[in-house]
Formats: sequence, C-alpha cells, structure tokens
Amino acid sequence: MKKKLLALFMSLAVVVSFVGCGGGSGSGSAAESSAVGSAANGGSTGGESADNGSADGGNTVVIAMEGEGLETFDPGYVYEKYAHVVMNACYENLFKFYGNEGTAQPCLADTYEFSEDSLTLTVTLKDGITFASGNPMTSADVAFSINRCKNLKGNPSIMTDTIDSIETPDEKTVVFHLTEPDSAILSKLTYNALAILDSEVAKENGATDAEDASSADTARNYLDGTSAGSGMYVLTKYTPNEEIVLEKNANYWGENASNVDRYVIQLQGDANSQMMTLSTGDIDVALNLTDDTVSELEGNDSVAVLNDPTKTVAFVMMNMDESIGGQVSDPKVQQAIRKALDYKGTQEIVGSGTVTPYSLIQDGFMGSKGTRDVNYTNIEEAKQLLADAGYPDGFDIDLTVTDLAFEGTPLTDLAQKVKDDLALIGINCNIVTQSWAAGYGDAYRDGTLGFTVMYWGVDYADPNVQLEFLPGNSVGLRAGWQADMDPDIAALSKACMEATDDADRTAVLEQIQDATYEYGPFIMIAQAPAHFGYNTRLTGVAVSDPYTLDVTMINIA
Amino acid sequence: MERLKFVGKRLLYMIVMLFGVATMVFILTKLIPGDPVVANLGQRAMSNPEVVAAYRAKYGLDQPLAVQYFMYMGNLLHLDLGTSIRTNNEVLFELKRCFPATIELALMSIILATIFGILFGIISAVRRNSILDQGVRVISVTGVSIPSFWFALLMLYFLYYKLHLFPGPGRLSNTFSAPETVTGLYVLDSLLEGNTAKAMDALSHLLLPSIVLAAFTMGLITRTTRSNILDVMSTDYIRTAKAKGLSEAGLILKHALGNALIPVLTVIGLGLGNLLGGMVLVETIFNWPGVGQFAYESVTAADYPSIIGVALLIALNYMVINTIVDILYGIIDPRVRCS
Repeated sequence: MKKKLLALFMSLAVVVSFVGCGGGSGSGSAAESSAVGSAANGGSTGGESADNGSADGGNTVVIAMEGEGLETFDPGYVYEKYAHVVMNACYENLFKFYGNEGTAQPCLADTYEFSEDSLTLTVTLKDGITFASGNPMTSADVAFSINRCKNLKGNPSIMTDTIDSIETPDEKTVVFHLTEPDSAILSKLTYNALAILDSEVAKENGATDAEDASSADTARNYLDGTSAGSGMYVLTKYTPNEEIVLEKNANYWGENASNVDRYVIQLQGDANSQMMTLSTGDIDVALNLTDDTVSELEGNDSVAVLNDPTKTVAFVMMNMDESIGGQVSDPKVQQAIRKALDYKGTQEIVGSGTVTPYSLIQDGFMGSKGTRDVNYTNIEEAKQLLADAGYPDGFDIDLTVTDLAFEGTPLTDLAQKVKDDLALIGINCNIVTQSWAAGYGDAYRDGTLGFTVMYWGVDYADPNVQLEFLPGNSVGLRAGWQADMDPDIAALSKACMEATDDADRTAVLEQIQDATYEYGPFIMIAQAPAHFGYNTRLTGVAVSDPYTLDVTMINIA
Repeated sequence: MERLKFVGKRLLYMIVMLFGVATMVFILTKLIPGDPVVANLGQRAMSNPEVVAAYRAKYGLDQPLAVQYFMYMGNLLHLDLGTSIRTNNEVLFELKRCFPATIELALMSIILATIFGILFGIISAVRRNSILDQGVRVISVTGVSIPSFWFALLMLYFLYYKLHLFPGPGRLSNTFSAPETVTGLYVLDSLLEGNTAKAMDALSHLLLPSIVLAAFTMGLITRTTRSNILDVMSTDYIRTAKAKGLSEAGLILKHALGNALIPVLTVIGLGLGNLLGGMVLVETIFNWPGVGQFAYESVTAADYPSIIGVALLIALNYMVINTIVDILYGIIDPRVRCS
C-alpha cells in the first residue's frame, strides 16, 4: 500500500515538475534572449509553435503596465493615464509634445496663426498625410474628430470648452473660433482625445459628430478594439486585463524612425510581478515599479531605472469657508500649517525622485518657479503663527482622506504624515477615511470638505491646468475660495488664459506662484515620481508627461 | 425518471433563486453609497453639469429607482444583463470574456486540490500520529491558513524569479498569441488549433496560480478525508472486513474510501464554487484576466450592471455545483438514492 501511494505521489510530482519546467524553459529562453539583446523577440524564438512574433521576424518590445482603469481606446472618450501610451502610438494630433520641456510643437499641423484678438486660430495641415487605412487626411477629419469629442460629452469633452466652432474653408485649412482667448489651446490640441480620426472609417462604424452624439454615436466598441488614426502603429488586439498588441503602420505617411515592429503591452498591475518579469527578461519595460521594487533591481546590468517626476501633485486643502473649514479657514492657521509640514519627510514617503513644488505650478512646467526649499519647515514660527491666530494650545480637527493612491502612495499614508507633523504644533488631527465613490467624491466636488489631503493629475500638459486651483475656479471653489475673496488673484486666471505670448504667460504664472507661496487654501506637499525600469537593449525610454511613455521614440539598440 | 424529476425541480428553484439574487443585489447596490458619476468621471468633468447630465442619461441613472429596477428585470428575462457603465460593453459579453480564464484556473486548482488532498488525507489517516501524518497535517494547516496573495508572491519569487522552474505571470508566454476562441480555455483551444506546444505553454502557466489557489481547498480536503477515514475505520463493517483478512489497501480503497468521500465531495463542491467566483489578489499578481479582476474593477467603478452580473454568475455557479454534488451523492451512496 505504502509503495503504491508513494508511486502515485511521485508520478504526479513528476508530471507537475515536467509541465512546470517546460514552461520555465520557455520563459527561460526569453531570458537568455534578453541577455543577447533580443528579449521577448517573437522572431528569435521562431518555430511553428511560436506565433506571436512579427510576421517578418521583426523586433518586438514587451511593456508591462497597469491595466486597471483602462476603459477605452476611443479618442472621443479616452481619459485614463495609461491609455495614452496606446493612443499616442496609434493616433496623431495637430500638435504634439516631443519632450517634457517646452511647448506644443506642430505635428499634423504645418503652420498656425492666432488672430489679433486671440479668438481665432487658423491651422494649415501638412501635405500628404494619410491614415492607416490609406485614406487621405483632410480638414474635414479634423473638424469631425474635435466636434465628436465635444458632443460625446464624455470625460475629455472639457478640453473643447473654449472651442466655439470649427470652420474648414478648404481641405487643408482648419479655423478654430474660440469663446475666449485660450493660451493653452495648442497644449489642449495635443491631448489624445483630440486626436484626428479617420472620419470615413469611424462613420462606417457608427461614429457621428452631431450634437446628439452622446446618445447617437455607437463607434466606441469598434474603436476599443482597433484604431483608425494616422499614427506610427495600429492597434491590432486588445484583451482587457490581459494584453494590447500594436503593429507598425505599414501606410505611415511620415518617417517612422523606430525599429520596433511590434509592441505587446501586458496589463500587469502588480509592481512585484513587473520587477520579476523585467529582471528575468520576459518583459522589456515596466511602468509601475515602486521604490521597493526598484531597489531590488540594483546590480542588474541588463536593467536601467528611471525615477523622474511627473506632474501629479498631492496637496493639503483647507476650506476657506469658516462654516466648513473651521479653524483652518483662518489664513494665519493655514500659514502655520504650511510652516509645520515636513516636506523632506513627505518626499521620503513618496519615494526617490519626489520633489515639492514651489507653489501651485509644478516643477517642470513652463513658468514654474521650481521647487520649495525642503528646509522651509519652521516649527517655532508655526507655533507663533498659531498663537497669533488665537490658538496657543492648538486645537482638534477632522482630517478627511479617501481610499485613493497618489502614484502608488496611499493618500492615507500622507494624511498620517500630516497628522504627525501637525501634532508638533498642537493641532490634533482625527483622520476620517471615506471611499472616493461612496461619499468623498461628492463631498470634494461640492466643496463640503473642511480639511483634507488629496491629489491632482493634470488633464493636459500645460500650466494652465493649475488655474483651476485659483479663487472662483473649479478646484478653488472646492476649497470655498470664491473669486470675490481675492479678486486680484482671481484676475490672474483670466490674464493667464489671455496671454498667448509665452513670455507674457510666464510672467503671469510667476505672479500666481508668488501670490500663493504663503497664502491660500492649498499647500502642494509633493510632486510624485514615476518609477520605470527597462532593458538596456532599448534606447529612447523616458517618462513622458503627456503620454506616460512615448513608444514612438523607442529603438532597439 | 426520478432523477430527471429531481433535476427539473432544481432547475425551477434555480430560476426563482436567480431572480431573488438579482433583486437583492440590485437593492443592495443602490442602498450602499456610491455614485457611478463620481467613480467614472474625472475631477474636472464631474464639475461640468452638462457632462454629468449626459452621463446619467446614457446609462439610465436619471430614471427613478423603480423604473431602473423594472427595466433591469425585464431585460433579465431576455437574458440581457445590461451594459457595463465602465466598459460600455454588454455585461454578458464581459462575463463570457473573463469567465473561461477563471474556469480554467479553477478546474486546474480543484483537480490538484482533490488529488493531493485525498492522497494526503489517506496517508495521514493510514499512518495516524506518525511523522508522515504530522508532516501532512502541517501542510494542510499551512494551506488553509496562509494568505493566498502572500503565498502567490512567495511562489512567484522563488519558483519563477529565483529558480526559473515555472513561467511568469500571464496565460501564455510572449512568444505565443492567444488561440482562436472556441471555449476560451487556452489549453483546450490550443489543442483544438493543433498547437501542442502552445497547449503545453498554457498548461505550464496554469500551474503556479493553480497551486496557490489549490492550497486552501487541498488543506480542507486533506483534513476532511483524514477525519472521515478514521471515523469509517472504526465502524463495525470495517472491523468485520479486517477480521476476514482483507489487506489494508483493499480495506481502504474498496470499503472505507467510498463512505469517507461523501463529506469530501461537499468540500470539493464548495471549493470549486469559491474558486469560480474569482480570486482578485491572485489574479492580479499572476496577471490572470478572470472574474475576480472584473468584479473588483466593477465595484470600484460603481458599475451596477456588472456587479449584479457577477453576483448572478457566482450564485449560478454555486447552484449548479450543488445540484451536481447532490446527484453525485446518489451515485456514490445508494442510501441517498433510496431516500
């Protein structure tokens, strides 16, 4: 009996090991390929069974990124951060950011011109642009794409708020009539939701740019599975929570300088899994590493790491309405809190690469005054300010926080840090946690939160997104900051919108930062980094503000 | 005939219960605080009343609750589970997409758990209080008590990352593309495609997550098998058989195991039902696009149609499995058949 049982057990163990090792050798071969510079290259594995390589045995790059929250690849609806990796590869816009610095540059646009009153923008298209389908791009496609986004009334329709109407006098010219001068209009036109669709293909599949598009348009499901743009790559497969496949656009109208034929994007949210698969060579690029997992990669010569700041910021919000904010609505208390916070300690919690913005405008944006000195903290001064405000012994207050994470760092961790810092000056915070979808979100939107820690990811890569924090604007109002409370600061918002000249806009942005450096209901406590890891066989991998990762810039060395 | 009557009755109960579950989940999802608008619209868009109104209208969220309920139940009668607020796809389509991945993983897990659980249970019972028994008991207690997400990370770290014995996360290696969907089970579909290498690759990817998920159920099966065999071994008919000179192996395999397995069947059924509900953390770590991940994302997005769809699927799983277990009881144990 004993022998029989032992034999049965051993047989099962052998079967399990055999199959396991079989798979292991499969992945192992990818790892070996990595060492010789061709990780995850389907072509290199060859054989009739290996069918995921390029048809011509070309170069494949495997990327792992967070898949949660990826909802659509329809340009009219796309809004989620990681969708931009795909959108930027498959579609093109009139303008584009070719790096994190500087301003939007023409992409499909050849020339552009603002009218004297800055209410009209005339754009001329480049010659010879074609979509992946082979259809030529005309001004009608541009008008269709942007009107569709506006009329779908989805998340990104806010990008078109200042576009009143679009005229197309000829096939090459697009005229935007604006409702008000908008110095960020070129940056907005880089946003993936305003990418130019092949209107013929889109219409064939149910798209419309009519005013009732929000109910009449039925193209989303089609565009979730394939692309209809003019980009360097074509979306050929999307399996939710599993993978996305991009193939080189054979009909690309311009010069595709990348030698990558195919991208396989694995939707793999776990940082540990990304670290392990990157390290073994199963993937080439990991977009969601954390501080801990990055340190695990140290000493691995085939992997390089990037810890570069993004434009996502965490902030403390103190409601200016006394009936809501209580003690923290007092500007002196606000300044005491500003002085008491330990910015350096917060940076350590968020991880290497974190910076603290000087004020409301993130470090790296045009017109930014850079970073706040981490030694700005002064506990004695903070105590004095609190005493001047009438609270020599401090006070007790609720600090509300939600269940979201700030680029991987739970907001609850940041709230705990704020609580610890403020305890040093006698402010005792009672942390109240609320779910985003079940209470916090509504309260935040309605401006009924008194004291909170929250984060803000930019919608489009332009400092004007931060104008929302000014009095009378959407985020300002969430802090009870009405325009008439600080009319001078509120006026800077309009001035910035109207400053279509970069030098003029920079001057206004600097005024905004000076005015809010030691005043106002917001304290920017951290600007988060992105932790990328990539196989050193690649060049051109960089943290991209607008696109997360610009795959069109990657090459295999 | 009796059995057909039994199955027919169970089917009728199932339909009534599914409508009950749908009603209960619908009410619960509406009772708990959670607004799809806040969950799905961005920070700036949710401040725009026009965008919010269009969003509510699109998904019928602007209708009174009673209207929403009757619309939903009316559609359910036509097997229409509605449209996902998050993905804009039919909920049925989404479930069809992610359920096969879960079925494949759950079946592999339950097979491993059953084989090793019964085997360990027998060994443990036969060698009661020996070192072997103690070892098996340690394994089963560990399997039951170890947090699955931690075990998953541990297994991945050592068996994939350090020792390269198993492949990494995902259903297939990067060198393969997904097989043409017939059943949605990659191993089977690859075989139907005639690609045995791909089938082996899919099978090898199944092993590590299956082992992780099997650990809990295997622990339960081991313990149940052991205690039931020990109970049965002390009964009169076994003593009589032993007195007649039957070998130990014959005694266990021919006489004791059949009776001891009846409660084990219940444990296996519950385990399978549990696994078919999806395991969010393990699915996330192993990049497995199953029901667990879909359910998690639906909940965080307050995607009510999808939440109800998943609840119905899980309820249906348990009902079908319980029915099968009841039928199997009758096959294994004639006493149940008679009653």
